[in-house]
Amino acid sequence: MIWVSWRQHRSQAIACLALLAALAVYAVLVSTSMRTAFSHDGLPACLARGPATSCETGIQAFDNRFGSEVNVAFWSVLLIFPGLLGVVIGAPLIARELEFGTWRLAWSQTVPRTRWLAVKLGLVTGGVIVLGAAITAVITWYRAPMDRLTGHFINNAYDYEGLVLTAYILCAFGFAVLAGLLIRRSIPAMIAAFVPWLTIRLVVEFVFRSHFLAPLTFVQRCNSPQSCYGGSGLGFIPPVTGHIGDWVLGMGGHGTLGLLGNHPGNTWLYQPASRFWTFQSIEAGIFVALTALALGATIWLLHRRASWTA
Amino acid sequence: MNQHDADGSVPALRTDRLGRRYGKVWGLRDCTLEVPAGAVAALVGPNGAGKTTLLEMIIGLLEPTEGQVSVFGETSRAGTAETLARVGYVAQDHPLYRDFTVADMFHLGRAMNPRWDQKLAAARVEALGIPLKRKVKGLSGGQQAQVSLTMALAKRAPLLVLDEPVSSLDPVARLEFMRDVMATAADHALTFLISSHVVSELERFCDWLIILSGGHVQLAGPADDLLDAHRLLTVPRATPDADLPGRTIHRTDSDRHSAVLVRAEAGQLAVQGHAGWQADPVSFEQLVMAYLQRTSTAATTGNPAPAAEGPGPNTKAVSR
Repeated sequence: MIWVSWRQHRSQAIACLALLAALAVYAVLVSTSMRTAFSHDGLPACLARGPATSCETGIQAFDNRFGSEVNVAFWSVLLIFPGLLGVVIGAPLIARELEFGTWRLAWSQTVPRTRWLAVKLGLVTGGVIVLGAAITAVITWYRAPMDRLTGHFINNAYDYEGLVLTAYILCAFGFAVLAGLLIRRSIPAMIAAFVPWLTIRLVVEFVFRSHFLAPLTFVQRCNSPQSCYGGSGLGFIPPVTGHIGDWVLGMGGHGTLGLLGNHPGNTWLYQPASRFWTFQSIEAGIFVALTALALGATIWLLHRRASWTA
Repeated sequence: MNQHDADGSVPALRTDRLGRRYGKVWGLRDCTLEVPAGAVAALVGPNGAGKTTLLEMIIGLLEPTEGQVSVFGETSRAGTAETLARVGYVAQDHPLYRDFTVADMFHLGRAMNPRWDQKLAAARVEALGIPLKRKVKGLSGGQQAQVSLTMALAKRAPLLVLDEPVSSLDPVARLEFMRDVMATAADHALTFLISSHVVSELERFCDWLIILSGGHVQLAGPADDLLDAHRLLTVPRATPDADLPGRTIHRTDSDRHSAVLVRAEAGQLAVQGHAGWQADPVSFEQLVMAYLQRTSTAATTGNPAPAAEGPGPNTKAVSR
């Protein structure tokens, strides 16, 4: 059965490796110059010396040069990429058998169809996890110098590093396997799985992510409104908290919101950089749970449904 | 649990009041039949008669709504390895993975069947001149059918079920395929159940006949006995059914004569006494056509077919 699964998904696996290789080549090309510039600008030494606020000039120079390459909207468009990858791998897994009638061949051998599915799902899911981890590793390495300045909470880092990227791919994969079983045709199943995946993906990022844990507060200290620096969001490097990687959500507390500009004593709400892995685990957990739900439903339906004749 | 025939032998296949409902519609109902070991049985019926439904329940792909299947005395349970191992299956249009080579298909067979006979598989395609390294999509329809049959044979199951194996083949390939099936059945002492709506292909090859129509078994038994038990009578047109010997299965009236296919015991067929009557033996095709036409007439006029338990809503095609 393992050989059968491998033989059926061999070309997919090769295509994924090619994709990974292309990504790695791009990453090496861009990251090498970025790494050189990073050490050349003396940023590591400055950051090691004192608070990030004192390295502002160097940070701005580096960001001006590489920010457009690494932090641009191009990566925001790429947020659909894990979804596409997942549905392309997942949808044909069952749908192709139903589409071409080969289910009659596959399920009439001396292997019950639930076992057939369990082995296939086990192997392909494993492959998806390895692929997700590999892409994550490449992107994390590629962004490493930039992440020293932005931290990992910025979308372009958070969405492609840690655990969530793999979980996104898995979720789209799980949705697509289920859709393939229900719709029985690969391409419509891809679309049917991608749309809910994208919806959930966006809602989790833009509605829930900042609320995974209750934010901390930071009271800003500065001598005058003019010297008060900062704002919400991840565009401010370094953030108002002075600690790189903190995700400043906005002003909180009392009375200060109505005033123009920043004032001493302003209270800011933020998620500290140290929560990165907790946040990754929570978000990945949501998507892995959805994957398990979809794949569980698939196994149950395949087991329960008695008739496959269209 | 062994279920023996009257003569003590275990039938290769027995279905007992087997039925399958799709939603509110019965695709097959009350199907009781037996195929003895070593038979090459033809399952004939129009499209939508419930043939595929019956075959899928026999091989264990489809769970019956009621009744049960036993293969060589063992009661089948759909979807279990034990049941799947007992039956080799060539599905309609002989599905194979198109981008697999023949060798890959056999590798799959070996990986998915504990009793797989690689020698048999390799020897068979070699004899047929099918290259092992050729991809499935590069094979002709006849060759694909042969690869499918080879896989079913190499599974080493005592009962082989072939669903419309020749319907997508050209006439020469049909003949070759059926000849090959016959030779294999004789060589390996296998039992075959072959469904088809192409009656003429089966006539020469099958020794057991099952006619399925409207979700019910219309006629089943040894082909020779069934042929012997039927006669095609040519009688004056005015002759009412009641005057005819045996049971009228199908009647075609022309200007002056009627051609009536009847089922009758040998003794009832003494027609010498009737002037202008003639009794001829029936062919396989005539027999099948008479039963199939009878059910379609019964369905359109609303008269239940005598052999069936009332046509109900199930005369409509549902299974395929």
